[in-house]
Amino acid sequence: MAPSSSSGLTFKLHPLVIVNISDHYTRVKTQFNPPPSLCATENASNNGEAMLQPNPRVYGCVIGVQRGRTVEIFNSFELLFDPSTDTLDRSFLEKKQELYKKVFPDFYVLGWYSTGSDAEESDMLIHKALMDINESPVYVLLNPAINHAQKDLPVTIYESELHVIDGIPQLIFAHTSYTIETVEAERISVDHVAHLKPSDGGSAATQLAAHLTGIHSAIKMLNSRIRVLHQYLAAMDKGDIPCDNSLLRQVSSLLRRLPAMESERFQDNFLMEYNDKLLVTYLAMITNCTSTMNEMVDKFNTAYDRNSRRGGRTAFM
Amino acid sequence: MSTLEAVITSIQRLSATSRDLSALHDVLKGANDSLRTNSDLQLTTLDQLDPSKHSLGYLYLLDVLSCGPVSDVVPLIARFINGCDAAQIRLASEKFVSICKRLKDKVLELRDPLRGVAPLLAAVRKVQVSNKRLTALHPDCLQLCLLAKCYKAGFSILSDDILEVDLPRDFYLYCYYGGMICIGLKRFQKALELLYNVVTAPMHVVNAIALEAYKKYILVTLIHSGQFSVSLPKCASTAAKSNFKTLCTTYVEVGNCYNNGMISELEAVVVANSSEFEKDKNLGLVKQAVSSLYKRNILRLTQKYLTLSLQDIANMVQLANAKEAEMHVLQMIQDGQIHALINQKDGMVRFLEDPEQYKTSEMIEIMDSVIQRTIGLSKNLIAMDESLSCDPLYLGKVGRERQRYDFGDDFDTVPQKFSM
Repeated sequence: MAPSSSSGLTFKLHPLVIVNISDHYTRVKTQFNPPPSLCATENASNNGEAMLQPNPRVYGCVIGVQRGRTVEIFNSFELLFDPSTDTLDRSFLEKKQELYKKVFPDFYVLGWYSTGSDAEESDMLIHKALMDINESPVYVLLNPAINHAQKDLPVTIYESELHVIDGIPQLIFAHTSYTIETVEAERISVDHVAHLKPSDGGSAATQLAAHLTGIHSAIKMLNSRIRVLHQYLAAMDKGDIPCDNSLLRQVSSLLRRLPAMESERFQDNFLMEYNDKLLVTYLAMITNCTSTMNEMVDKFNTAYDRNSRRGGRTAFM
Repeated sequence: MSTLEAVITSIQRLSATSRDLSALHDVLKGANDSLRTNSDLQLTTLDQLDPSKHSLGYLYLLDVLSCGPVSDVVPLIARFINGCDAAQIRLASEKFVSICKRLKDKVLELRDPLRGVAPLLAAVRKVQVSNKRLTALHPDCLQLCLLAKCYKAGFSILSDDILEVDLPRDFYLYCYYGGMICIGLKRFQKALELLYNVVTAPMHVVNAIALEAYKKYILVTLIHSGQFSVSLPKCASTAAKSNFKTLCTTYVEVGNCYNNGMISELEAVVVANSSEFEKDKNLGLVKQAVSSLYKRNILRLTQKYLTLSLQDIANMVQLANAKEAEMHVLQMIQDGQIHALINQKDGMVRFLEDPEQYKTSEMIEIMDSVIQRTIGLSKNLIAMDESLSCDPLYLGKVGRERQRYDFGDDFDTVPQKFSM
């Protein structure tokens, strides 16, 4: 249904788009399927709407820049889908487009997005409708089903291609590969969003543990990838695998980008920070011991102190 | 005769498993009195037994034998201690302890304490149930080490942290002797800790051991930290607080003189009371205290001055001349007590800050070991805390107080008595 595209365009996707789409989807889903506590307050007339399909589809537009053969998708906004005519709301789209043009004169509508597991036939209608704005729009599809086994992003980008099937030229959707491109600001915000936790994980100990676990898994991943590279290079050295010079060049450039860990100033700073942390740990241990000892002494005094106030009350427990 | 043979065969038979051992123990306890009166028991009978396999039986027979007049008992006992099996010994630990004490007495009689040091060290390790328990043998071992002047051997026992004590007297003696060993090794910090333990130990009446320890404690504080306070620490018992000062007036006087910082006065006091110090065998310690007064004065100078000439130092510290001052300062720099630069051309001394930045990798190792020790300590404390929480005495008192607050509530009251 979706063969690979052969248009030769490179696509770059910004994470802002992904966050927007996912946010839109989550909002719509929560609005239509409120949590069980609110369900009870719904009256009968709204009941029909409350029973919408579990995975509502959301629609919107993606905008960005096309320079030469590179298509960079920067941003997106939402659109209302009219189920009766099966089209997107045109006037709203044009209004939004004008507003965006004022702020970002370079951006123009590159295509549209939706959610779902796979591209459908009805999507082609919307796609064709957008073709008068952009002669070759892109279709960004986000799969909102959470699949823990899947390591990649559930985002696919489709292009339309004219293929001759059964003698009839038809437009079909074709996969394209894309890369993720980030600006520093985007990286920070995505990181922030990714680490939002439910509020009952608020104690300092769990937050510290979560933070350290994150760092630990990141380092583990880095370690495993370096190990793979290392094995590959060793195999190449032994001659098991034919030498791939371009890969070797990439590896060498990567190695040259590594931070300078052998300099004396680095060692100095590193040791100083390490010792500071150790001292803080030591202080924490001593405080811990002191508080345990304090409790123990209190207990000992209540248990064995003969001069305790026999008949009187303590002021507070 | 026959009973002796019977005992020996039963020892040989029953020394294998722990169940047999307890049976053997009962047999031996029953046969103990008859063994004492049995004249057949000679050293040669011991040859039928093997100390490492039949330790329990060997112990009983040896105990009976060594009570009587036997020559050459020292190597016998020493060999036994080295070869015996620790698990079997712990079943009859009081007998073992009494044998070791007899060894110690014999060795002291022969005026050769060195012979007893190694066996007693081994004995301590064998009779100790765990590393944290103080046994009756610890002070004896330390006493022998002191008399034999092999301080390092004694110090190895002192490096364990003691958490449980059987008899308070053992504890006093252990800390006192331990303090003396540390003084001999010039580890004044540890000596101070041990002597502090004796001085502040709970006691109803004044204890002679604690009194001697207090005298040494005063002198060691002078040497180590350079300050003297007349009042005892707050946790000392009331008996100690009221009586110690009146019983060691000369030492208190020495301490006060030290605080004033005048060398000549201090020396005068020392000379005046030297006979008393001699009697207490503390004269060496007192002399060390006097020489440490110079150090303390120089140390105080580093806090006031940035540079000073050697002649000025000599004047302020009341040393004879600049040469002696230079020697003292040099010694202190080498010991690491002060940080300074001596400029020999114009005889100036410049005092520096401590250059330790704590950022070397050796520091990491020190910190790591210290943190590990603190973690161990914390575990011990938590264990003690938990055992106290389960103490029926404590629960009874807490329950009593809780009762008063829960009027009208339906909380369960803690029962006053527990049927154990």
